[in-house]
Amino acid sequence: MATTSDAANDTANEPYVLNIGPQHPSTHGVFRLRVVMDGEVIRDLDMIVGYLHRSMEKLAEERTYTQNIPFTDRADYLAAMSNNLGLCLAVERLAGVEVPERASYLRVIFAELQRIASHAMANGTLVSDAGAWQTPLLYMFREREKILDLFEMTCGARLTTNYMRIGGVAFDPPPEFWPALQELVDELPARIDEYASLVQDSEIFLARTRNVGVITAADAINGSLVGPALRGSGVPWDLRKAEPYCVYDRMEFEVPVGRHGDVYDRFMVRMEETRQSTAIIKQAMAQIPGGPHKTDIPLALRPPAGEVYGRVEGPRGELGFYLVSDGTPAPYRFHIRAPSLINLSLLREMAVGVSLPDAVVALGSLDIIVGDIDR
Amino acid sequence: MSRAALPPATPMARQILDHRSLLQRARTLPGEARVALALLGIMTVAALAAVGYLVIAGTLDGRWYDIRDLGNGTSHLVYWMERQGWHPAIPYLTTGLLGGLGILSLVGGWLVIGSWVERRLLAKFQIRQGPNRNGPFGLLQPIADALKLIQKEALIPIGADRLLYYLPPVLIFIPAMLGWAPVPWAARMSYVDMNVGVVYAIAISSLGVLAVFLAGWSSNNHYALLGAMRTVAMMVSYEIPISMTLLSVVVLTGSLQLSQIVAWQQQYHVWLIIVLPLAAFTFLFASTAEINRTPNDIGEAESEIVAGFHTEYSGMKAGLFLAVELGNAILVGAMMATFFLGGYTLFGLETWIPGYLILATKIGAVYFVFVWLRGTLPRFRLDQLMGFAWKFLIPLAIVQLLVVAVEALVIEQSGLPGVATVSGAILVNALLTFFGVRAWANAIGYRPEAGASTPILTTAVGGLRAAARLQAVP
Amino acid sequence: MESPGIILAFWVLSAITVAGCLLVMVARNLLHALVFLVLAFLGMAGLFVTLSADFIAVAQILIYAGSIAVLMVFAIMLTPLAVRDNANSLYVLPALAAGLGMAAIIGFVAVSTPWAELQGDALKHNDPVTTVAAIGDLLLGRYVLPFEVASILLFFALLGAIVLVRERRNDGDPS
Repeated sequence: MATTSDAANDTANEPYVLNIGPQHPSTHGVFRLRVVMDGEVIRDLDMIVGYLHRSMEKLAEERTYTQNIPFTDRADYLAAMSNNLGLCLAVERLAGVEVPERASYLRVIFAELQRIASHAMANGTLVSDAGAWQTPLLYMFREREKILDLFEMTCGARLTTNYMRIGGVAFDPPPEFWPALQELVDELPARIDEYASLVQDSEIFLARTRNVGVITAADAINGSLVGPALRGSGVPWDLRKAEPYCVYDRMEFEVPVGRHGDVYDRFMVRMEETRQSTAIIKQAMAQIPGGPHKTDIPLALRPPAGEVYGRVEGPRGELGFYLVSDGTPAPYRFHIRAPSLINLSLLREMAVGVSLPDAVVALGSLDIIVGDIDR
Repeated sequence: MSRAALPPATPMARQILDHRSLLQRARTLPGEARVALALLGIMTVAALAAVGYLVIAGTLDGRWYDIRDLGNGTSHLVYWMERQGWHPAIPYLTTGLLGGLGILSLVGGWLVIGSWVERRLLAKFQIRQGPNRNGPFGLLQPIADALKLIQKEALIPIGADRLLYYLPPVLIFIPAMLGWAPVPWAARMSYVDMNVGVVYAIAISSLGVLAVFLAGWSSNNHYALLGAMRTVAMMVSYEIPISMTLLSVVVLTGSLQLSQIVAWQQQYHVWLIIVLPLAAFTFLFASTAEINRTPNDIGEAESEIVAGFHTEYSGMKAGLFLAVELGNAILVGAMMATFFLGGYTLFGLETWIPGYLILATKIGAVYFVFVWLRGTLPRFRLDQLMGFAWKFLIPLAIVQLLVVAVEALVIEQSGLPGVATVSGAILVNALLTFFGVRAWANAIGYRPEAGASTPILTTAVGGLRAAARLQAVP
Repeated sequence: MESPGIILAFWVLSAITVAGCLLVMVARNLLHALVFLVLAFLGMAGLFVTLSADFIAVAQILIYAGSIAVLMVFAIMLTPLAVRDNANSLYVLPALAAGLGMAAIIGFVAVSTPWAELQGDALKHNDPVTTVAAIGDLLLGRYVLPFEVASILLFFALLGAIVLVRERRNDGDPS
C-alpha cells in the first residue's frame, strides 16, 4: 500500500511488453514491433525486421542483369513496375544503353499506373487501420483491379509483372489496352472524388488522423524520409521534378505538399498524387510516338567496370539501385535503397508516448511493404 | 474503337461478364418451378386478403385463432388448463416453456441467418458479392461457418485460468437470452410483461460486462486483457447515458413497463424518436458501444488489438462470442424499436398485420443501420469515445431529462388536449437537440474539422528552405 | 403455508447464495472469489423475486452484480503490484469478533421481529400492483431527506475520487 499519492503514481506504472506481429492485422506483413506499454500508452518500441528476408542482394550477384529484374518485382511487391524501372534505368546508365522514345512513354504510363494502384492500397489500408471495416479499401481496390487487369493484358501478370527490360519494355501493349486505359483514365478523377467524399471529410477519420504522428520538415529530412511521407511533412521533393528521368520533363504536373506533417497530410498527399498521376497518364497517352518498344541488347550484358546509383520516385519514395560492375555479366555488388526500410525508422519518433491506436495509424500512414524492408 | 467490340481481355473480366443477374437466372427456370412460384404468390395474396376480410368483418376478435397476436392463443390455453382444474403450476410451466422456446428459436434462427445477412449486406456496401457459394445465394454459409468452428481444436493458452476461461462463452449467452423477456411482440405477446421492464433491461445488459472481463483476464494474453479493460471501461461509461435516456423515456411515458411505453406511443400516434430525438440518438450510439459495433468497436478493434477479449478463444468458443454479438445486435434493435420506434405498432396497421412482424421489420431496420455504420465509419479512439460519453452525452442527457420532466407534467396535468402538449414537447425537444448540441459542443471547445487542409500544390522542388518558403505562403 | 414451488425456489436460491458466499471465502484466487460473489448476488436477487419485490431484485442485479462487481474488477486490476491471491488474513481475531457481532445482530432481528404479522392473507391485502410507484413515492415523499443526504454523500465521494486521481500539473506551476 502506497503512503502518498505520488508514490502511488510511481507504482501504478506497471509496464508490460506487447508483441505486435509478426502476425498482426495491422503490421501489413510479417513485421514485428516489440512495444513496451504502460496501459494504452507506448513507452518504448523495438522494430524487429527480417522475417521476409530472402537474401535478394546476394542472390543478385550470381545472376545476369536481365535475370535480376524479377527479383525487383518481389522486393516491393505492390510496386513491381517502379522497381523494374529503377533497376533498368540504373543498368542502362551503367552500360550506356539507349532507350527508344516509345518505351520511355510506356514506362511512364506503367509507372504511374503502378503509383495509383499502390497509393490505393496504401490509403485503403490506412483507413482500415483507423477502423473502417474495409469499405474504403475495397472502393479503392475497384480501380486497382482495373489497373491490374491492364497489367495482365500487357504482360500476363498482375502483381509480379517483370515488364521493364534493359533498353525498353518487354511487350508493346495489345490493341485492346488503349481503349481500356482511356476508359480508366476518364473515370478515375470521378472515382477518386467519390472515394475522397467517403473518407476525407469524415469527422471520425479526421479525429483519428489530425495531429497524429506528426513529423516536422527538419525531422523528415534528418531522418532521410522519402516519398509521400516526406512531402506530407511539407518538403517539396519529388525525383520526377528534381531529377527527371524517362520523359517526366515533358509532363506537366504538380507536387502535392502537406501542411502539418501528420497522418492526415500523408493521406491527402497520396490522394492528390493519384490525381496528378492520372493527368500524367493522359498527357503520355496523347504524346506517345510510334516506333520500337525495345532496344536489342546482348543476353549477357557486360557493362564496363564501374559503379552507378540509379534512382526513381517509386510510390513509397526514392527507390535507389546501387550497382557495381566488374565487367562480367553479373553485378559485383547489388544494393537496393529501399524506401520502406528508411521510412520505417521514423516510426519510433511518432509512436513513443502516444496510445496504441495512434501508433497503428502512424504505422499505416508510412505505407511500409515488408518485402521492401527485408528484401 | 468501342469497348464492347473487344473480347474481355482477362479471366476476371470474363468471369464478371459471364455472371448472370437474378432476373436472368429466374428467366431460365423450368416451367414447373415457375408455376409453383406463381401459385405460391397467389396463395400469399389470397391469405392476406382473407385476413383483411376477417379483420373488416370483425371476426378476428382476439380469440385463440387470431394470429395477429400469438398471446391470445397462449392465454386461451392457460384458461382452458385452469378450467380443467389442473394444478396451477402446469399452465405456468407450459406457457413458460412455450415462450422460452419462442425466444430460443428466435435467437437461434437469427444466428443461423444473421451472419449471412451481415456479410451479404457488407459485401453490397463494399461493391463485392459476399458469400454466394454454399447453397442458394450462399444461404448455407452460416451453417458451414458453424461446422467449421465446431471442428476446430479447442485451444487453451498456457497459463490460462481454466475455470474462468471456460465460463465466459457460456456466461455471456445468458444476458443475451434473458434480455428478450420484457420485449412486447404484440399487445399480449411478451414473455414477462414485468412492471420494472426498463430497469430489468438495463440490469441484464450490465451482466455481460463481467463475462467479457473474465474472458480477457483468463486468457493470459495482453491483447485480450487490453480488449477486456477497454470494453469494461466503455460499458461502464455508456451505461450511464443509456440509463439517463431511458429515464427520460420513462418520465415521459410514466411507466417502466415496456408495453405501456408502446401504448403511450400508440395513444399519441407519435414515435418517441420524434419526441426525444436526442435521447434516441444517445441510445443508439451508446448501444453500439455496449455491443461492440463500429464506430465504437474499440473492445475488439481488429487493427489494434487483434480480436480484443476473445483473441485466445478458438473453435466454437469464439463462435459463441460472435453469436452473442449478433444476438445482442438484434436485442438492441428490439429495444430501440420498442422505446423509440413505436414497438409493434405502426399507426393502426397493427390491427391488420401481426404485431410481431412489424416489430421484426423494425428490428431489421435498426440492424441494417448497424451494418450500414459498420460499412461506412472508421473507429474512435478510446479516449475520444470516453470523452464523448462523459463530456457530451451525459450532460446533455441530464438536461434532456430535466426538460422532459417538465413536459411530462404539462402533458399529464395541464388538461390541454394531447395533440397540443405533445407537439409542444416535440418542438421544445427539437430546439433543445439542435441548439443544445451546438451550444454544448462550442462550450467544451469542439470545432468541426470539416474543410480540413488540402495539400499545397507546387512545381518547384527543394529541401528545407523550399519547405519553409511554401509554408510561408498562406 | 406457501405453495411448494415457492418453497423449492427458496431452498434452491438459498443454497446458491450460501454456497456462493462460502466459496468466496474458500477461493484462493481473487477473481474466482469475485465470480462466486456475483453468483451470491444473483441468488439474492432470486430470493427477492420470490418475495414479490421485483424492483429490489432488479436493483440488486443492476447495482451489485452489474456495477459493484465491475468496481471490484477495477479495484483488483488497478491495485498496483497487488498479490492477486486471497492472502492469509492478518486480522483473524478482529474478523472473528466482527463476524460474531453480525451473527448476533441478525439472530436478534430474526428472533425478535414479529414475522407472523406479515404472513398469509395480510400480505396479500397489502400487495400493491406495482412496487415501483410505491417505492418512488416513499423515496421522494416521506424519506426524501435520507435520500437527499445519501445522494449528497455519493456526490462528495465522486468529487473526492476526482480530486484524488487528478493529475497534478508541473510542480512549479501555481495553476
